[in-house]
Amino acid sequence: MECRGHDAYGRLPQSVKPRTIKKLLVANRGEIALRIIRSARVLGIKTVAVYSEADAGAAHVAAADEARPIGPPDPGRSYLNIDAIIGAASAAGADAIHPGYGFLSERPEFASATDAHGMIFVGPPAAVMAALGDKVAARRIAIDAGVPVVPGLDTVDASDLATARGFAASAGFPVLVKAAAGGGGRGMRVVNEAAGLAAGLEAAAREAQAAFGDGRVFLEKYLARPRHIEIQLLGDHHGTVVALGERECSIQRRHQKLIEESPAPGLSSAMRTRIIEAALKLARAAGYRNAGTAEFLVDGDNFYFLEINARLQVEHPVTELRFGCDLVVEQLRIAAGERVTEPAAPRGAAIECRINAEDAAHDFRPAIGRVIKLGLPAGPGVRIDTHLGVGAEVSPYYDSLVAKLICYGADREQSRARMAAALGEFSLLGINNTAAFLRDVVASPAFARADLSTRFLEENFPHWTAAGADLTAALIAAALVAGGNLDSGRAGAGTAAANSTRNESDGVDGRTPWTELAGFELWGQR
Amino acid sequence: MKVKQVGDQREIEVAIAARDGATVHARIDGIDVIAQLEPLPDGGAILQIDGRRIRIAGARTRNSILVAAGPASFEFVPVEGRAGASRHGLAAPEVTAPMPGKILKLIVAEGDHVEHGQALAVLEAMKMETTLYAESAATVKKIRVSVGDMVDHGAVIIEFSPAPADPSKSESPAPDA
Repeated sequence: MECRGHDAYGRLPQSVKPRTIKKLLVANRGEIALRIIRSARVLGIKTVAVYSEADAGAAHVAAADEARPIGPPDPGRSYLNIDAIIGAASAAGADAIHPGYGFLSERPEFASATDAHGMIFVGPPAAVMAALGDKVAARRIAIDAGVPVVPGLDTVDASDLATARGFAASAGFPVLVKAAAGGGGRGMRVVNEAAGLAAGLEAAAREAQAAFGDGRVFLEKYLARPRHIEIQLLGDHHGTVVALGERECSIQRRHQKLIEESPAPGLSSAMRTRIIEAALKLARAAGYRNAGTAEFLVDGDNFYFLEINARLQVEHPVTELRFGCDLVVEQLRIAAGERVTEPAAPRGAAIECRINAEDAAHDFRPAIGRVIKLGLPAGPGVRIDTHLGVGAEVSPYYDSLVAKLICYGADREQSRARMAAALGEFSLLGINNTAAFLRDVVASPAFARADLSTRFLEENFPHWTAAGADLTAALIAAALVAGGNLDSGRAGAGTAAANSTRNESDGVDGRTPWTELAGFELWGQR
Repeated sequence: MKVKQVGDQREIEVAIAARDGATVHARIDGIDVIAQLEPLPDGGAILQIDGRRIRIAGARTRNSILVAAGPASFEFVPVEGRAGASRHGLAAPEVTAPMPGKILKLIVAEGDHVEHGQALAVLEAMKMETTLYAESAATVKKIRVSVGDMVDHGAVIIEFSPAPADPSKSESPAPDA
């Protein structure tokens, strides 16, 4: 499952089993928890899953060697509860904790607490994480290391308009107001003209104060059509840092990446070398350790440092397929004190699509539900990382990512064609999801031409809806369901047993409004 | 039947006019569509329309019909608002939780008579409060939860029995949601 169809996969640099990690607690859920458990198992490391009350039946719980409950569904009281997780790790006798991505992965206090309890934190040291987590501090590290940053003003007092006006006049509008403590697009404002500057500064500061408890903001020149390109880094305890090429992540919606690929199409080798050198300089200056990613914006012949993500990225499999490596294995080896080595030359091209539980035709609003039927793609060069299975539930408490589809090819066109075909094979009944939208994006001429920028979706897919034939088929299917002539939840010898106890379509006492009533309406407001 | 996608205003009329072996004659908003239906052993089927073969699957939930057509996913809600004889004027026999959450407030009590549009209960989900409303006049037969209960998606919150007969309303269609 890790890398179906990729014959160069499985290389491990003349490694031995890590000497000090025997039992690893995975402080996460979903596909990434499952993915980390798999790599640990390959290394002979025992795994401990943690789960909230909403996840008792989840795939990562079943996959681990043991599992411990850590609290209620609300992530603040479970997956973000440092005491509960450290407590579970101590009780299980774990000697290391892998934070995955999201949740506690970039909280310096979690790394410190892990350390303080004599366990290995699989990630950078708390102090490095703290320095990089502050965007203004990270900009300073970059400037001191001679790495270009987007022209900007380091901190702005929202009341000091004269300074802000001076910067905007020299850089030119539009300018971007960003929160120092920011993330996920919050505390960010584009200001198009001088008249809007005061209001933009105030709004961003207020939003930042509310979201992060830190109202500091800074100003940057706003780039019109940049590409988002990032460098995968690995650093060890002996001062060595290596880069594993780049990933292009320009296909974004509201600052959330949806499609990532490597290599970045059309990036000259001179430019690639310059960006990689800048990333290495930065990581060395910051004393970086373990896996991390340096993010850049590329605008014509210029590139600018954005931030370092001090963790494993969602899109790391793209790099794994090209470099024939397992980044979680590398993380565990580094955490155990082993040295990193220069990676082998990459080959081919890889693309990842994030399939989210969202309704792409209706402003990407989050969807929830239970998997009634699932068809996963396969074939040469096709990898899928998912925690979904029949009966699995997507609840409102957590992230909307339900599957990552990663396709490898000898070149971009082969990997793109495989991706389009694989998305066409994907089928999920029970939870609205973005697979059809992604297929249309991957199959589009603009994506085939690799005409990429962070505005790609706004420019090419401002209002997506399902294609005509799919909608026609779906309407006929709905009529067949209403008439009792199609019921994929009940039929199917293989899944009937799995469905019988939890399938919503069974209703209470087998009685539903559908069987009793001639017509019906939706209750409540959705 | 008339359906709309959850989140959409557009209503679409769809009916299976006839089935002749594998051939399905459907009518969508007045346009005839002919499709070939090939059931699959996994509970899904293949629909062939205009030479394209599309894999379909579908199931009912309490309040909607879920469909997968190829990689595309849909949730349809029937919008036939007429109070059919078989449901005694009730839009549905019960109120269910539209998502997992906590019961914050119960506004009605057993035996209460409620009108269309009346607030019944407040659910907290995703840190937001969602009020559940009555979709038709009814009498509260049973309340199945208490304040503070965590409920699952689809859990029954309130059961209804038909409202006492009201001659002035019995023939009029229930307003659409």
